[in-house]
Amino acid sequence: MLGLLSSPALAAVIVTPPGDSSLPAMTVGAPNPLIAPGLLFILAVAAAVGIILLLPSRREAPLCKIGAAVLAAAVLILAIVLGKSAAGAGVGVYFWIFAAIAVIGATRVVTHPRPVYSALYFVLTVMASAGLFVLMWAEFMAAALILIYGGAILVTYVFVIMLAAEAAPAGGQKMHEQLAEHDAVSREPVIASAVGFALLGILLFVIFDRSGEIRREDAGGAAAVTAAAKVAATTAPAVATTGFHPVGGTQALGDFLFRRQLVNLELAGLILTVAMAGAIVIARKRVVGWRPLEEIEMVSTPAIGIDDNPHSIPVTGTDNPRQKEYPET
Amino acid sequence: MTQLALQHYLAVGAILFAIGLIGFMTRRNLIVMFLCTELMFQGVAINLIAFGRFWGNLAGQAFVIFVLVIAAAEASLALGLVVLLFRQRNTLDADAWRDLKG
Repeated sequence: MLGLLSSPALAAVIVTPPGDSSLPAMTVGAPNPLIAPGLLFILAVAAAVGIILLLPSRREAPLCKIGAAVLAAAVLILAIVLGKSAAGAGVGVYFWIFAAIAVIGATRVVTHPRPVYSALYFVLTVMASAGLFVLMWAEFMAAALILIYGGAILVTYVFVIMLAAEAAPAGGQKMHEQLAEHDAVSREPVIASAVGFALLGILLFVIFDRSGEIRREDAGGAAAVTAAAKVAATTAPAVATTGFHPVGGTQALGDFLFRRQLVNLELAGLILTVAMAGAIVIARKRVVGWRPLEEIEMVSTPAIGIDDNPHSIPVTGTDNPRQKEYPET
Repeated sequence: MTQLALQHYLAVGAILFAIGLIGFMTRRNLIVMFLCTELMFQGVAINLIAFGRFWGNLAGQAFVIFVLVIAAAEASLALGLVVLLFRQRNTLDADAWRDLKG
């Protein structure tokens, strides 16, 4: 926040005119802010207020609606500013749709008082991120994301939510009266929102103002390395040696993983196996006092009693009175 | 992908990360807290894929595969721990374990 406050552009709480920023930022040496830091600061504060009002608490419903409106307005202003100054950036309308779904879903994950709904909204966020992945030509990762997150992990979460069902308090009419106290009331919403949105403000400031450092070799030229060129570049050795010719991003990714990252991939499999074994050990139910039958019958006390008490070992010449009690030989 | 487009994707990732962070700090239900960490993983994954696309190589996607692996391992272990903790105190409230603080 201090960086934002001390920024000289704080006074100018105005959007940079579209004429300036329609130039690609990478061709300009000086940082060309897409969005004024002061505006970013105000938006972060507004969004923090909105999310404080939205977080579950024993508050009346109208206040939550006000919070939602404030938060939506902040996000909308950010999107409009970005969209206006970044016309022709190469992000299409699908980016905005998926980004909106992802952000709304994430907000609901955090703010919905019922854990099951949080999990379902998380699925929505996962789907939207998968859409963003597809827009970035990462089809395999999109599919893997939906399979692993939307399938496996979320099913586990829902299972645990059902397993660990708590006794509901005697329900009233309102929703927060039917919930357990720790679901209905959040912990330190003001401090947490301040920290979170300070972090977000700084991150966005760095992304939009200080990203002039990120420059590609072909900066200013044709912007996109096309997917075909990418595939050809990464798999040319493969074609030369094996005659194997990948045709898509997924095959290129597999080639990359199994040629360059083989050890890491095996380590990942090892981690999964260890985690599975660990989860079984952790969540196993220990039954106290249960022993297998044959153990009870077979194991008997030794015929010759072994006295393994250390105090029974005779010690000569000690000052310890407990050991003095035993006969010195 | 132009730098301008990269910035947009990075912004979405940052927003998801910050929202997940806020949720992790404010929510008191153990399950929702771990959901919020998954949300933070999502933001990071979007960032990694966007950078991989920006530089035109596959390292970003390979990173995301390993992030997914760690997320899956973390989810299984964390949920096992949640079940264990729930059996001990019969509640999902993280504040029920307040006496663990040093």
